[in-house]
Amino acid sequence: MASLTAQQRQDLIDELPRLKRFCLSLTSDPSDADDLLQVTVERLLEKGMPEDAHVAKWSHRVCRNLWIDEIRSRDVRSRYAQSEGAIEGAGTTAENSDESVQLDRVSAALERLPAEQRAALVKVAVEGCSYAEAAAILEVPIGTIMSRVARARKALTEDLEWKAEREA
Amino acid sequence: MTDESKNVVDMDGMRVDDDHLLSMYVDGELDAERTIALAGRLKVEPALRARLTAMENSDRLVKQLYASHSDSADRDLTALIQAKNVAIFSAVSRWREWATGAVAASVMAVATLSLMNEQPVAFNPMTMDESLAQALEQSPSRAAGWEHLDGERDFRSVLTFPAADGRWCREFLLAHNESHWRGVACRDEGTWVNQVVGSEVFLEQETQYRPAGAGDTEKVARFIDETAADVALGPQQESALIASGW
Repeated sequence: MASLTAQQRQDLIDELPRLKRFCLSLTSDPSDADDLLQVTVERLLEKGMPEDAHVAKWSHRVCRNLWIDEIRSRDVRSRYAQSEGAIEGAGTTAENSDESVQLDRVSAALERLPAEQRAALVKVAVEGCSYAEAAAILEVPIGTIMSRVARARKALTEDLEWKAEREA
Repeated sequence: MTDESKNVVDMDGMRVDDDHLLSMYVDGELDAERTIALAGRLKVEPALRARLTAMENSDRLVKQLYASHSDSADRDLTALIQAKNVAIFSAVSRWREWATGAVAASVMAVATLSLMNEQPVAFNPMTMDESLAQALEQSPSRAAGWEHLDGERDFRSVLTFPAADGRWCREFLLAHNESHWRGVACRDEGTWVNQVVGSEVFLEQETQYRPAGAGDTEKVARFIDETAADVALGPQQESALIASGW
């Protein structure tokens, strides 16, 4: 398992956009997501993977484990301060527009979700994965995906409604 | 919302509430029977319909948010994955620093990658081929001008410096069509190995350049800062070193 095969390299390149969104769903911070993606790719190139490994599943697992290692090693307060500043400015291109305000709201609401709910929601709602596909990639039962996605949507909609009412 | 409406089970036989039902409906995960039943309720229950609309709206915003973060091309990562004979230097900046403290120079050359694919691939600046290695071996550093490596690339060595582990390293510029790169390669037991490469955008004036993004230039600068044991060699020292075969 010293190196990736040519097919695994190509599969990994094809997987990069999805892996990048997965990184963002884990970190909630665009800068952290870029760094996590870079470290994940480096780790995969350095350690390789079994020839019969499913590249998407393997790379997601490595990515998730690296992020777990990272958050364990970080000081919680400094991480919160960093991500708070970054996510507040994420996704906004037109200041003061309704769309920009809405994106800010959903960005902040997403950050408040538990990471596992956010990851499940992104896999299903953004990637378009079926529950079975998301369950295979995230290595949890299908019922867990169903539950996480539903709870994420419920929390998001309530958060957005509450904010809209509060700011009205 | 009636008690009857709450008494619904999912595909695993678990009881689910309306939020779960709506969520599965949005995702197309409800079976035909429950889809028809829910569609009927949506027609006569405005609150349920509003809930569905709110979910679909938040989904749309989430997709939009993630699309805005996914537009940037991961050109460097793609090049890294395709590369052959490249040492993985963990140049990731603050994320890695937070995790492990300052990146030690000894981290470099962790692994030398071999490419299994024998098929020809598109030009990859991370690839150390014979022409590039020969230029690094023999060409003096210069402040301006280019050396034609082969039919496609132009090369300029920028400086030569000693690494803390005793190897000699060279910073260089590489141009190919519209792509321009800046990197550092080190001589490891007679073989030149790329350590870090970042993209550059050159100004029209041949003697000037500016970085495409601070991140790429930062990677190269960081590597030199962390690796160099001394200042760069002067022209005479470098010339003597090249003449002596390193």
